Amino acid sequence: MLIERRLIKNFDFTLLVITVLIVVFGLVILSSATHATMARGDDPYAFVKKQGLSFFLGLVAIALLLKIDYSWFTKYAKLIYGVNILLLLAVKVIGQEQHGAQSWISIGSFNLQPSEFAKIAMVITFAVYLAGREGKLSRFRDLIPTFVFFGLPMGLIIMQPDLGTALVFIGIYFGMLFVAGARPTHLIILILTGALLVGGILTAQLAFGLEKPLKPYQLDRLTIFTDPYKDPRGAGYHVIQSLVSLGSGGLWGKGLYQGTQTRLNFLPEQKNDFIFSVVGEELGFLGVSALLLLFYLFVYRGIVIAMRSKDMLGALLATGIVSIIVFHLLVNVGMAAGIMPITGIPLPFFSYGGSSMLANMLGVGILLNVYMRRQVLTF
Amino acid sequence: MSATNIIIRKRITRLFLVVGTILILLIGRLAWIQFVRGEELREKALANRMDDIPVPATRGTIYDRNGRELVVSISSDSICAFPPVVKSGDAEKTARELARILDLEYDDVYKRITKNTNFEYVQRKVDIEKSKEIRDLNLTGIDIIEESQRSYSKGKFASHILGFVGMDNAGLDGIELKLNKELAGIPGRIITEKDARGREIPQALHEHEEPVPGNNIYLTLDETIQYFAERELDNVMAQYQPKGATVIVMEPRTGAVLAMANRPDYEPAEYGTTPAENRRNMAIQFNYEPGSTFKVIPAASALEEGVVKPESRFYDKGYAVVGDRKIKCWRFPRTHGSQSFEEVVMNSCNPGFVEIGLDLGEERFYQYIRAFGFGRKTGIDLPGEATGILIPEKDIKPINIATISIGQSISVTPIQLITAVSALANDGLLMKPRLVNKITDSSGKVVRTEEPEPVRQVVSKSTARQLAGILEKVVNSGTGRNAYLEGFRVAGKTGTAQKAGPGGYVEGRYVASFAGFAPADDPQVAILVVIDEPQGGIYYGGQIAAPVFKNLAKDILRYLNVTPELSEEEIKNRSDQAEVLVPDVVNMSLEDAQDILREAGLKARIEGEGSWVVEQQPKGGIRFPAGSQVLIYLGDKGGTVPNGQEVTMPDLTGLTMREAGQLLGRLGLQINAVGTGLVSEQKTAPGTKLKSGSTVTVVFTPQVPEPSP
Repeated sequence: MLIERRLIKNFDFTLLVITVLIVVFGLVILSSATHATMARGDDPYAFVKKQGLSFFLGLVAIALLLKIDYSWFTKYAKLIYGVNILLLLAVKVIGQEQHGAQSWISIGSFNLQPSEFAKIAMVITFAVYLAGREGKLSRFRDLIPTFVFFGLPMGLIIMQPDLGTALVFIGIYFGMLFVAGARPTHLIILILTGALLVGGILTAQLAFGLEKPLKPYQLDRLTIFTDPYKDPRGAGYHVIQSLVSLGSGGLWGKGLYQGTQTRLNFLPEQKNDFIFSVVGEELGFLGVSALLLLFYLFVYRGIVIAMRSKDMLGALLATGIVSIIVFHLLVNVGMAAGIMPITGIPLPFFSYGGSSMLANMLGVGILLNVYMRRQVLTF
Repeated sequence: MSATNIIIRKRITRLFLVVGTILILLIGRLAWIQFVRGEELREKALANRMDDIPVPATRGTIYDRNGRELVVSISSDSICAFPPVVKSGDAEKTARELARILDLEYDDVYKRITKNTNFEYVQRKVDIEKSKEIRDLNLTGIDIIEESQRSYSKGKFASHILGFVGMDNAGLDGIELKLNKELAGIPGRIITEKDARGREIPQALHEHEEPVPGNNIYLTLDETIQYFAERELDNVMAQYQPKGATVIVMEPRTGAVLAMANRPDYEPAEYGTTPAENRRNMAIQFNYEPGSTFKVIPAASALEEGVVKPESRFYDKGYAVVGDRKIKCWRFPRTHGSQSFEEVVMNSCNPGFVEIGLDLGEERFYQYIRAFGFGRKTGIDLPGEATGILIPEKDIKPINIATISIGQSISVTPIQLITAVSALANDGLLMKPRLVNKITDSSGKVVRTEEPEPVRQVVSKSTARQLAGILEKVVNSGTGRNAYLEGFRVAGKTGTAQKAGPGGYVEGRYVASFAGFAPADDPQVAILVVIDEPQGGIYYGGQIAAPVFKNLAKDILRYLNVTPELSEEEIKNRSDQAEVLVPDVVNMSLEDAQDILREAGLKARIEGEGSWVVEQQPKGGIRFPAGSQVLIYLGDKGGTVPNGQEVTMPDLTGLTMREAGQLLGRLGLQINAVGTGLVSEQKTAPGTKLKSGSTVTVVFTPQVPEPSP
């Protein structure tokens, strides 16, 4: 046996079961979102199969990850951080462009999306950094190094440009700093400063018709959710179709595979960013409630793991992973429900994408790892 | 566990609470979208995938009060295809059949009906037999929809009342606008399902919702009386070249408008290119100072209030002084001298009426002016009615009362004045002017009947009768002599008003008018004639409007079969004016009709285009003064009538066998001739509607020339 019996005993089966349920739910919805719009002659379940494969790879990754004690991360944090920056740079240099963003690196027939893994990498490295500074975060100037720490990779991601991932970075940053012991007043000052800065830039751009720093189409996408009917065939199309899909689902939904918005391809990006709307259309309010309940349970387990962890590093790792999932959920569902700007970030375990699935599974692996090793060894 | 850990735990808990709250907010938002906005968004989802092709409804017909068609819609069939459905059947066979019947190229048809869309027209406006043949074949994915178009075959006739429709078949003026909701019907739809890129989808839904045809409207208008009015206005225009003219004929008992005609007029089919001025319905939109015709109002009010009696004495010194103003009589510097109230009305004496008005007093006078319906819309079923102008009571001065008494300082519309005059003819009871008798649905079932609507008893019956008697004298021996009509008792009042312009009344610009009713003792019609700015130096209402009234009254009373009662004097004076029987020229060629009318001693006036008489006015069989005009409407030659279409059986009486055969042939009717000679009997009565292609039996009898009387 490679892993000690004691560790097996401490394995969080609940979290694994929740994860598997979410993934299976996601695969069913993915099959609905993809099978009808496939070209004739193609395997209608090709996407589902690929996604299933990613999930399987994710399970393998978890198994491998569980063998390592998470305290190892302390040793390799600098390396992980460096590789992360290199990969993000590589995207900029040799990356493939898709949907207007340069986020992919082709390795053979696989397309790797480093920004998905960057989130996990940031959680690991930032947890290590903060654990090392326990109790030394009460002054504002203590926070200054963290700006650099996060600023570098975030800058690279914004340049892709991938605003959604950048937003998740902010979520990770504040979630982890808060738990690590930074003063709430400092964090609030930071958030307000950031909000004023972003608000100021957006207002200035809108007011003076500037084309920098955001390109006009990016600005449109960010602000259109406030009034999608301003441009119903252009920037507002996604939001309108998403709302129509959700709304027409009602309580029970139109039935699995029966969504007209989905089946007739009115709903854009239905296997990626707007897969949540497919759930809403076909399974109705009950479907989306079930989905949110599953995620709630997932987050609950994550929080329990953070609380029960044996040290600061474990607590921060768990907090970071939970922050990722929560922020993805919030931004993605908010976008589908028309209360968040369209930033194009996936719904964890649902949206089609190997990198995303693998990264999220790694996150689950870290949670399981922290939980398994929650007891301080006393001989 | 260390203190730090407790702080960390607290913070983690707080973080979890924040997450929980956010999730609950998200669920709330989703509930809002899915429940509160659910219905609206469900409809949007449906609208997303459904292509909606509207099928216009056939507009209702407008009839006169006798059921004669004034405006109709001509409908035609269009053949359309639903390509996805066509492809589910035998598209090649369908294309072959369509190409054969419609006489089109097979390749074009095939391409069209298998196009990558949901809906295509194969051919629009197809002959009835062809569409029937296609309908009978019941081809997969082929449907037939009915489209219709408004036809104004009567041209300018009653154009201001009927109005017109725009490109989208919606009423833009007149009855077409006012009753658009009734006439329009409910458009049908053809609905097909599509995907986000508008492409067909296999097993697409398609649905054909039939339109509901519009309702038919029966007006109070009488086509024949309207024709008389139109004819008289044509004569007025030719004789006096006025800026405009209007005639309203009303039935006093019911308030029904029997005719309403205006000049200038316009072709409804060419409404876009006619000046707005021509489209103005003067009868309800012309605000003018009525002048002396208005004097009937103070006269009736004063009689009712007992301010005057018919025998009350007045003295005219040629003018009246009110405040610092001198109001002259039209006869000034001559005077009317001493006269009775009756004579004041007969002479239309201004100083006399000024006295009457001042005696009535501002308050009572205004009460009656309003009671007779001035200063407010009559509520007739036409758009754009004007209200007239009254000086507000608070600003009124004695001088205003004096001038209003003679029809100045007050603006009225022709419809207001004729309604008031009708009230006097109707024993003092004011009726609401009406244009609509009833509304039926497309199958003829009555949807709504509009009953005569009394508004108020303005003056007593005895006052009204008394005034009628005085107004009869106006015509018999007063200013209205030119309206005198042999055999009938006519009551009326003339009016000549100088038009106000900048800085006072303008020389040479007058409105001449005559308002009256007949017979005075049992009024059948009230008529108002208004001529705006007649040219050529003759402008007195008694000179130019009264004769128009007379001509109209004569023709209308005869048409309404009101028996003339000649006084002995009249019998003695009666000159033998030739009258002729108007021949029926409907369903004849233009040349034949003109010949026959000429032989009968009548003139022909032509309306419309074509070589075939589809309608005439007045109708055949009426006795009419020799030399009168008969209006004939032209249309397409009947020879093109396809089988199965509805045609009207003509009156064949007196025709030769050849003539009868030709006439029926043009209508697509087969003749079964019995006997020889001229037509003496036809088994199908004239006016019967029957399908083209039917056979009718006609009896011929040899004619012996009638002995002359």
